[in-house]
Amino acid sequence: MKRSFLKTVTTEAKLLLIGIPVLVWTLVPIYHMFLFAISARDSATSGRLWPQEPTLQNFDFVFHQKHFYLDHFWIQMGNSLLIALTVGFLTLLIATCAAFAISRLKVRGGRTVMNLALFTYFIPAAFLAVPMYKTMGLYGLLNSQWALILAMVTIASPYCIWVLKQASDKLPYELDEAARMDGASPMQLFFMVYLPLMVPSLVAVGTYSLLLAWNEYLYAFLLLSNDKSVTVAVALGNFLSADDSPWELLMTTGLIYAMPPAAIYYTFKRYMVSGLTSGAVKS
Amino acid sequence: MASVSFHNIKKSFGKTDIIHGISFDIRDGEFVVLVGPSGCGKSTLLRMLAGLEDITDGEIIIDNTPVNDLEAKDRDIAMVFQSYALYPHMTVRENMGFSLRLRKANAQLMQERVAHAARILNLESLLERYPRELSGGQRQRVAMGRAIVRDPKVFLFDEPLSNLDAKLRVAMRAEIKELHQRLKTTTVYVTHDQIEAMTMADRIVVMHDGIVEQIGTPLELFDIPGNLFVAQFIGSPAMNVVKGDFKAGTQAVAAQGVQWPVPASLARHAGRTVHYGIRPSDMTLSTTQQGVPAQVVVVEPTGAETELLLHVGGSPLTLVMHGRTSVQPGDTVHLDIDVSKVHLFDGQTEQRLD
Repeated sequence: MKRSFLKTVTTEAKLLLIGIPVLVWTLVPIYHMFLFAISARDSATSGRLWPQEPTLQNFDFVFHQKHFYLDHFWIQMGNSLLIALTVGFLTLLIATCAAFAISRLKVRGGRTVMNLALFTYFIPAAFLAVPMYKTMGLYGLLNSQWALILAMVTIASPYCIWVLKQASDKLPYELDEAARMDGASPMQLFFMVYLPLMVPSLVAVGTYSLLLAWNEYLYAFLLLSNDKSVTVAVALGNFLSADDSPWELLMTTGLIYAMPPAAIYYTFKRYMVSGLTSGAVKS
Repeated sequence: MASVSFHNIKKSFGKTDIIHGISFDIRDGEFVVLVGPSGCGKSTLLRMLAGLEDITDGEIIIDNTPVNDLEAKDRDIAMVFQSYALYPHMTVRENMGFSLRLRKANAQLMQERVAHAARILNLESLLERYPRELSGGQRQRVAMGRAIVRDPKVFLFDEPLSNLDAKLRVAMRAEIKELHQRLKTTTVYVTHDQIEAMTMADRIVVMHDGIVEQIGTPLELFDIPGNLFVAQFIGSPAMNVVKGDFKAGTQAVAAQGVQWPVPASLARHAGRTVHYGIRPSDMTLSTTQQGVPAQVVVVEPTGAETELLLHVGGSPLTLVMHGRTSVQPGDTVHLDIDVSKVHLFDGQTEQRLD
């Protein structure tokens, strides 16, 4: 009893020893950002742990687009949202169909598709930025948001296909057979049995691709150039083009930009639990 | 209800032949059990009947209709899987009604059929539960309910009891048999457990290495096994078999240094090497110090019966006797063999000699 208690304490102590530095490491930059966001322009770089006169004025500047760099803030926010949602949706659609076809319908050449999907990650996405730029130029899509959407779907899909394929493989195959015997067509199997059981994985994968697109900078910067079509990520980058950057506004916008992903993550966290399939078959 | 015929069915996976030409008929309303050791092809045969596996060669006929090219859903067959395969995101009611929902049956019919099946299987109080909230036996019953709701021509069971514990298995065995007596639907049941086969079947099909070894009623297979494999597979404890010479002019098989008595009716087979078989319950302990001498190794009392593990000339032998005994391990006993119950099988072909 005592021994196991001691053991628990040591284990927890070890975890804390790792956990606390990691937590500090993660939170300090965010706190720094927050500090900038609530400081007035002249006191932003004072080095204090808490500003003398905290202010919400910066948020007012951002929300009401009261700065040269923020002229199109709401449009850009909308762009980010639209692009992220479209990428999330398209990736989910492609990956789900691919995973279902490969894992459940066992279509010919499925293995090859999986290997090709893995192969795409042998080359870092950054190396492909310029070829992608050329390709989009060829299609005449430059400066269209479709260029960024298609590029992000291309980058996100292979990984999502892998994740969904692995998750699909874990669903008992007898369920498909039972449904077939019950008279389900492949489409009915897909919609009535497969999708409901895949919800946790779909949410995870959808969130992943959505956030990937939301946070993307390089491709957005390359493929979009018009101030009214760029995403907030690119707009934030543009803050640094001047010698005298408004740091407090940059940080405030950054903080606002980081909110939706956090919200999405916390909303869907509870869907990302496993165990939905328990009770299907005896394991 | 329907009859089922297998005509020279063959199955290969790639270059490996699993089933080498099987033919037999199942009558309308019959309960047929396919039994055999694992890998004998019994599940594959069932899955071919279900439409879940392609038929490499041969023809399966249900009610005079060849079904080779019919989809599983068009064969009007319901199957109970070993793993139950219940849809985890649906309640018991939805699970049972799923096939009707796919057929776009009207709500009232669905309601009636599900209620009817639930009444038969005693599931009425569980209809709104999810599979994960049910015990193994209840899940098993839901799986059966899903089959009953469809009112199919044929029921298929693929080792449905192997996930249950021993006690529940016996109970469900009786339940399935009773269900069949009530519904009288043609049933094909696959198991590797010969006790299940013996207790449930109208007829048993014994399979081994992709061929049918013998087809018959449980007692036919027990009393007149057609070959050595069936003799040793059917019956528990298994039949005792020793290999020896049936010398011409004698009334006995010489094996393990002992003379094993043979009935006069089998005397014409003298002069060849044979497998001599005798069931554990067809021998008794002699009270006269005559008969086959044996050494007692283990005594296993089970209450009503006592099982003795013996050694005769180095080969093990089992004897089952009614009641109890005072013999101890190490004792030497003599065996009285019921000569009329002796089985002889050819030494080479292992076929029964009559």
